[in-house]
Amino acid sequence: MATYEGALPRAVTARRAVARQVRAHRRLALALVLGPPLIWMAGFYLGPLVYLLLESLWQIQNYNVVQVWTLANYTQIFSEPVWLDVLRRTVVMASLVTLSAIVLALPLAYFLVRYTRRWRHLLYLAVLIPLWSSYLVRVFAWKTILGRDGLLNTFLIGIHVVHQPISALLYSNTAVYITLLQIWLPYMVIPVYAAIERIPPSLYEASSDLGARGWRTILHVVWPLAFPGILAGSIFVFSLSMGDFITPLLMGNGTQFIGNVIADQFGIAYNYPFGAALAILPLIVLTVFLAIARRFGVLEAL
Amino acid sequence: MKKLLALASLALILALSALGGAVSSAQVSRHAAGKIGGPLNMIAWEGYADPSFVRPFEAQTGCHINVTYAGSSDEMFAKFRAGGGTAYDLVSASGDASLRFIHSGAVQPVNVSKIPNWKNLAPQLKSPPHNTVNGKHYGVSFMWGPDVLIYNTHVFHKAPTSWSVIYSHAYKGRITIPDNPIQIADVAVYLHYKHPYNLSNAQLARIKNVLMAQRPLIRTYWTSAGEFDQLFKNGEVVAGAGWPLMTVQLKQAHVPVADTVPREGATGWADTWMLSSHSSHVACAYAWMNYALSPQVQKKVVAVTDYSPANLKTARLLPASEAKALHITDTHYFDTLKFWQTPPNYTQWQLIWNEIKG
Repeated sequence: MATYEGALPRAVTARRAVARQVRAHRRLALALVLGPPLIWMAGFYLGPLVYLLLESLWQIQNYNVVQVWTLANYTQIFSEPVWLDVLRRTVVMASLVTLSAIVLALPLAYFLVRYTRRWRHLLYLAVLIPLWSSYLVRVFAWKTILGRDGLLNTFLIGIHVVHQPISALLYSNTAVYITLLQIWLPYMVIPVYAAIERIPPSLYEASSDLGARGWRTILHVVWPLAFPGILAGSIFVFSLSMGDFITPLLMGNGTQFIGNVIADQFGIAYNYPFGAALAILPLIVLTVFLAIARRFGVLEAL
Repeated sequence: MKKLLALASLALILALSALGGAVSSAQVSRHAAGKIGGPLNMIAWEGYADPSFVRPFEAQTGCHINVTYAGSSDEMFAKFRAGGGTAYDLVSASGDASLRFIHSGAVQPVNVSKIPNWKNLAPQLKSPPHNTVNGKHYGVSFMWGPDVLIYNTHVFHKAPTSWSVIYSHAYKGRITIPDNPIQIADVAVYLHYKHPYNLSNAQLARIKNVLMAQRPLIRTYWTSAGEFDQLFKNGEVVAGAGWPLMTVQLKQAHVPVADTVPREGATGWADTWMLSSHSSHVACAYAWMNYALSPQVQKKVVAVTDYSPANLKTARLLPASEAKALHITDTHYFDTLKFWQTPPNYTQWQLIWNEIKG
């Protein structure tokens, strides 16, 4: 074993040699770093998307998928009104959930940032804890709360607010809305909280020095600075609600959302090409939504 | 430190290979005992892979059964074909899916001379048109039964005599029916149409109106027997279209229910065990088919599901009243059921169903 004095210069020399190699072959180094993730993305993300697009142009013959080109799947979507009805209903539901999430997340995040100090991290953790349990556990929990014999109805009957259980609370679009909102809310709180936390406290002081307090500060200082966070959270909540088919299946009364009709085409109707064509629809909606978000500079803020 | 790490990993590798060797030698000795061994993957209706008759089969043959359940024939067909059709060896296909399996090449013919219990099947189930094509048997009939009206006996003190209860505003929001386009045939039976699976556009339009009117009365459409049970157990529904299996399961859970076939008649289904064209566990599959058709096992399946067995000899093992209630030897009753078949315009049925669900 060499002495300490002799070992140190050897490690330094080795590091300098590596650094020299990286500088000399910069492109190779970049390729080695970016390569694996890009290959993974291309193979497991872009590849299947391209295959989905191709499959939407094929058809079913004799109960088998055949690679015969056709636009029949797309003409079917536009000639049978039920599919666009389903898409419209899904966009409306996803928008409602997103707007409600903003309304709930903003005051919560603002309160956490401005009015809590000691308990802040614990309360923030409380918002995130539902994410630790599985999605299905949360949906089934709502089933036990909202049912005819569920927690909420039993409570309301017990305090004599109603005399019959409110059956519209479960197996309805209301139930789907409530469940989606509660499940995806943490994904709105996280970016909004991060955005509001970044606002320097001195801005609030400056604002009140200039004569604006309370609502005017929130409107003119907090809102513009939190907006990128709000839009980022909206992207999460909107896209998650758009694609969700499990909650409508378990909590709804059979009313279909775009996720349900796509899942049915693949899992039940065995019409993969038509399912692929239907899957392009939410893809288009989300691309439009992302393009709008990009105009507001959200993607840089992310 | 490095030497220690190398020694430790070498020891681990040696230990693992010794363990693997022990496992494979155990498998060799199991083969030597005369068992078949290996996995047997199946898609079945709920109740068709109950431990009460699966465990003895696994002990006897060493075949390990992996079962996936499906709630409708469409779902069964789609799941079976997914992934190139190699995931499953057996499927318990009903008469409305069996011809789809045959014509798409997903299942292979079976040699009924290798299945001794086939000889004792009811004559109308030995080579029925839904599983026998051009004289080739593409499976063996297993169980059959009606789609029944299941009702809560605390709400209905007498058995309802007509299917109209599930179309009635008196029970609004307390009704459930299957999420399955084949329900259109049930409406056709309710409307006394003579050919429920061969409907004209005018008949389909009328059925669609009936289903649309029924839509607000439905609590939700059930997709599996388990979901049906939950709806009754939680008091969400008081009447529904289901299978005798659910009556058995609900009674076991002390829910006050009974089932009936109303006066308009009922649709029915006859299930066939079919063998995948891509199966690599054919020996286990034949063993299962013969086992499942034996009278003793059919009796166990009856206990779990309350369906009617295909093997006539099962009647001797059951009490006379039960054999009569199941109509095991009653071909007249068999002929009154409108058995599931794939309608020629099924895509139209699927579209109507999607429009009704919304």
